[in-house]
Amino acid sequence: MSATVTVPAGGSAPGTTAGKTEVRNVTFWRVLRSEWIKLWSLRSTWWTLGSTVVVIVGFALMMALIVQLVGNEMEGAAPEDQAAMGGMLGGTMVVSAGFDMAALVVAVLGALMITGEYSTGMIRSTFAAVPSRLPAFFGKAVVLALVTVVLITVSLALSWLVTYPILSSNDATVDFGDSGQVRSLLGTVLYVTLVALFALGLGALLRHTAGAIFTVVAIFLVIPTIVQIATFAASQLEWVGTVNKLLPSVAGAQITPNAGAFPDVLEPWVGISVLAGYTVLVLTGAAMRLKLQDA
Amino acid sequence: MIEATGLTKRYGSKTAVDGVTFTVQPGQVTGFLGPNGAGKSTTMRMIVGLDKPTAGTVTVNGKPYAAHRSPLAEVGALLDAKAVHTGRTARNHLLAMAATHGIPTKRVDEVIELTGLRPVASKRVGGFSLGMGQRLGIAAALLGDPRTLILDEPVNGLDPEGVLWVRNIAKYLASEGRTVFLSSHLMSEVALTADHVLVIGKGRILADAPVSEIVDGAARKIVRVRSPQATVLAELLKGTDAEVDAVEPGLLEIRGTDAATIGELAASARVVLHELTPVASTLEEAYMSLTADSVEYQSEAIAGHAGTQSDLEGSKA
Repeated sequence: MSATVTVPAGGSAPGTTAGKTEVRNVTFWRVLRSEWIKLWSLRSTWWTLGSTVVVIVGFALMMALIVQLVGNEMEGAAPEDQAAMGGMLGGTMVVSAGFDMAALVVAVLGALMITGEYSTGMIRSTFAAVPSRLPAFFGKAVVLALVTVVLITVSLALSWLVTYPILSSNDATVDFGDSGQVRSLLGTVLYVTLVALFALGLGALLRHTAGAIFTVVAIFLVIPTIVQIATFAASQLEWVGTVNKLLPSVAGAQITPNAGAFPDVLEPWVGISVLAGYTVLVLTGAAMRLKLQDA
Repeated sequence: MIEATGLTKRYGSKTAVDGVTFTVQPGQVTGFLGPNGAGKSTTMRMIVGLDKPTAGTVTVNGKPYAAHRSPLAEVGALLDAKAVHTGRTARNHLLAMAATHGIPTKRVDEVIELTGLRPVASKRVGGFSLGMGQRLGIAAALLGDPRTLILDEPVNGLDPEGVLWVRNIAKYLASEGRTVFLSSHLMSEVALTADHVLVIGKGRILADAPVSEIVDGAARKIVRVRSPQATVLAELLKGTDAEVDAVEPGLLEIRGTDAATIGELAASARVVLHELTPVASTLEEAYMSLTADSVEYQSEAIAGHAGTQSDLEGSKA
């Protein structure tokens, strides 16, 4: 009989490294890299980003087809009527038609970035590595903003490319020489980015995926719809109009080509500042809860 | 080295950790032992700054955890539940953790190898068994080559081979001069792994001593005596400070004195003894006696059974 020594798999000599392991101080730059890795290593990221592109390009194509149909109808109409129609269905409007739906999809990504960590327990690993906590949260915000800006810019460019043949034959292309049109497209990028950050903040406040997404949809879709009906049903009530123009979605959308027709609205830059204000408010509240409460 | 002073955590009116003060020394494995709900995990979460103490302080290697500039190099923590996103692969999780401290990819692959995670490193964590999750947690704890390790219930869900592996790794890391603080509700685990033990119950430290001392000292030793004249002997022992328990007719269990004293007493009174056995206590018994009053969720005797017992006692009286 020979004695056998069993060596547990996975290393019976449980050493650490022979050489010294390289470990550096935590910096914001390193936290950003970590958040970047985290974002791209989840399937949900690819799903939401892909959906955003599909939504923006899909809506643009749909609107372009409408432009084509209307163009066919207007064949032979008076030139001033055709011009009026072109103003209502301009190129920027077509290209960015899906912006509010896209904002909701990106909002899901924003909320998931933090609620996904709470629901799985990952947040404890995150805060163990970055115990001052706020760099991790702001790292997420920076990564989210960066990705959203690039994503929406690329999506709009794709929409422009895909709809160009239809729009050019109807004389309704985007005029990049017109600063107003350029501003409205950049404004669209800004709007979606702010909504994404708003959702990230809500996610950190509520720490619950479904709750955060439900709240975002309520604030950016359900409530505006109700208020919109109210503005038409009770147009004599001045405060309804005031509430409407101060809604995050209505105020923020004034800078985009698809502002919606309301009698009383804010100036584009004022409107987007109002949305930015709400976003800063939510992010600040989230940062405070993150810092003060147990993970 | 971990130093806690008056560390307290209250959730509303419930006190989870009640002013505990202790020091966990480097170079040895310190077991943190207590029943479920005794405050072990809360204490560990406070050490790494995840929960804020209601009162008191705790430092690691001389500073509060959050004051360290590269915390993962100071403390590696495996906390109770899986603290990993289930949608991410094990390797990506470790890469993301490593990135915060500029830890090279080489080290990530090292800890994967070390913890035997290689076959599943590129699989998403959601599909992991409890044991694989524990290994990943330990891999993450080792990433920064930390001077202090905090392992909350590390052997939970591990197979026997994994349990042995954790035991070896804890002892090895301590032998390198590191501080190893390991919690368990299993006495046997702590007895095998730890050199020193902190016993906690209902948020208070009940014992803080070397394992050997707890076994020898804190436990009450029992001497079992079998004698046809048990009642006579029991009468004789009443004069001393020994505690006598009549287990059954002719059998006594005596605490508070040793076998030699009982033997001599019996001889002087010409009492016949059939058995005189010192019963060595185990760490398990020491633990049970220490925590008997501080178990959060005490299992109650089944009503019928309890009834019979009191009936018996009634008939005896």
